[in-house]
Amino acid sequence: MSTKLAINLHKLARFTNTAIPIFTLLFFIAGWQISFYFHFITVPMLGLTLVNCYYLFAQRNHSLLRNFGILGQGRYILESLGPELRQYLYSGDTEERPFNRTERAEVYRKANNIDSASSFGSQNDFDATEIKLRHSLFPISKERLLPYQLTFGEERGIQNTYTLTVPFIISGMSYGALGKQAVRSLARGIAQTGGLMNTGEGGYPKYHLMENCDLAFQIGTAKFGVRHEDGTLDEQRLAALAAKEQIKLIELKLSQGAKPGKGGMLPKEKITAEISELRGVPMGRDVVSPTHHPECEDYPSAVAFIRRIQEVSQIPVGIKLCVGDPRQFAELIAEMKRQDSFPDWITIDGAEGGTGAAPKAFIDRVGMPLFPALKLAQDILVSAGVRQRLKLVASGKLINPGSQIIAFCLGADAIATARGFMLSIGCIQAMQCGSNTCPVGITSHNPRLERGIDIADKALRVANYIHSLEHDLDELLCATGVRCVRELSFEHLYVPLESALYPFTHRN
Amino acid sequence: MTSPKLKIVSWFTQIAAAAIMGQTLYFKFTAHPDSVQLFTELGMEPHGRLIIAALELIACILLLIPSSIVYGALLGSCLMAGAIIGHITELGWEGPRLELGILAIVVLSCCITTLLVRHRELPLLKAIQTDKPTQRGPRNH
Repeated sequence: MSTKLAINLHKLARFTNTAIPIFTLLFFIAGWQISFYFHFITVPMLGLTLVNCYYLFAQRNHSLLRNFGILGQGRYILESLGPELRQYLYSGDTEERPFNRTERAEVYRKANNIDSASSFGSQNDFDATEIKLRHSLFPISKERLLPYQLTFGEERGIQNTYTLTVPFIISGMSYGALGKQAVRSLARGIAQTGGLMNTGEGGYPKYHLMENCDLAFQIGTAKFGVRHEDGTLDEQRLAALAAKEQIKLIELKLSQGAKPGKGGMLPKEKITAEISELRGVPMGRDVVSPTHHPECEDYPSAVAFIRRIQEVSQIPVGIKLCVGDPRQFAELIAEMKRQDSFPDWITIDGAEGGTGAAPKAFIDRVGMPLFPALKLAQDILVSAGVRQRLKLVASGKLINPGSQIIAFCLGADAIATARGFMLSIGCIQAMQCGSNTCPVGITSHNPRLERGIDIADKALRVANYIHSLEHDLDELLCATGVRCVRELSFEHLYVPLESALYPFTHRN
Repeated sequence: MTSPKLKIVSWFTQIAAAAIMGQTLYFKFTAHPDSVQLFTELGMEPHGRLIIAALELIACILLLIPSSIVYGALLGSCLMAGAIIGHITELGWEGPRLELGILAIVVLSCCITTLLVRHRELPLLKAIQTDKPTQRGPRNH
């Protein structure tokens, strides 16, 4: 059977390459002998001939253009249009990654405070991998729900505890990763709801602090904002930051789901003079944080370092990590138990977590996905008998109530999401976060792109999104017949055979 | 990215091209006898003269608006190529025609220089990575 196309493109290209100069000549003669108006065609044809000659004989970068000439250009044009065409026209509503159109639309509707009721049935694939919540035969009414409250630091009995009343935290996004308009929109929005925002590892959180919201200051492996020249912790600067009224918590980032085992990255395109000053890094070069904290060489030193930050800052201190090997996580917990020293919370970041920039291999292939990692972490903490010594925060693609309730069932006390909040302020998933060309200006420092963001309008959307999530969470809790998220358990989940959580269903 | 030095060069050539093209517009639009004579020889009087003048006006404007420079240069070089063809086939190079012909060649070179400097802004070429691959050294520890 012949696999050739009906049109032989090679022959067509050869014909085109011969025809272009011949037609140019014909039009030139026509313009000369018949009417000068023919030269309106001669001239563009002449240009085409020159470009074609360049493609065929002069340039050496592209084999396709050397072989096919100007016709080969068609491939590059079509390919460059591909992502947009697929996104706008050809991708199904549940096809795209990382978030498909239905998931994004749900966030947009929540942010706009539009009813998210849908009709005629779910678009999800029902029998295979979808985890479901087991509702109760006897749902409860909303009046019986307990208000959400989570107090960080209560286990250690410290003075400066922090009580979270909104279970949805804006996950770590630095000024640098985001532009200042986006940071301020998120900060103002979360301030309106009384929730918590993580600063990300961006040095002194100048713009986060502007809107008077509660902040968790993140210390990444580069320790921007609290570092000595040699990359170790500058205790004085940490203490000064922790003493700020708005900074309620400190989060030590050991690893991040999008690039576990690799430090944060900020491409040079996004380093402005202000960012280089806030972080203390040079301009014109990609900033890549170290792979690890120099203070954390092994289990004892890591636990000791967490305790040191707790002592210096005098406020609750948590850690963020992506689980690689659960045995290592178990060993870390065992070491905490040995030293009788625990962080005030652990954020489990799933490998599906997002980022502004990471090598593709890390985004795609490193780290455990959230749900099994969270379940394992919960099981390890319970079996070590220390679950009550700290809080668990889950993050990794938890943008919709449906996935958030699963995380709560798996043991999470609170949810952190970054991309959910980005979508709420108008992210269209253009996937250009690393190149400073974000078309909606969220991850760009280009003033022309940032001007698209109206802080007051976007702040309202952030608040709407949170209130809608709270509303949906309440309804799900009522349906499950429990009064608060702490009463949820793994037993409330229906886990089908092909789910990554299925092996856990037979453990007990 | 196009280097700032090259951008300055490009602005010089753009302005030169726009200025030379622009000063002939007056004669074309006001039907100056010399201009009418030229276009009569080409067999384009009066419509061709007005069309060419309008296109040249557009090219001048595009050349001076930052986001459309390459389009202006493209249009300008097409028009000047046409003018040079005119000189070769019909008008000749005698007397004042020589000066006009040389001006057309100068504008054409200005437009082509602009295009070469700003080739990354051309819409079709944008789809193709025009930079040569650079060599990546071995791992350093």
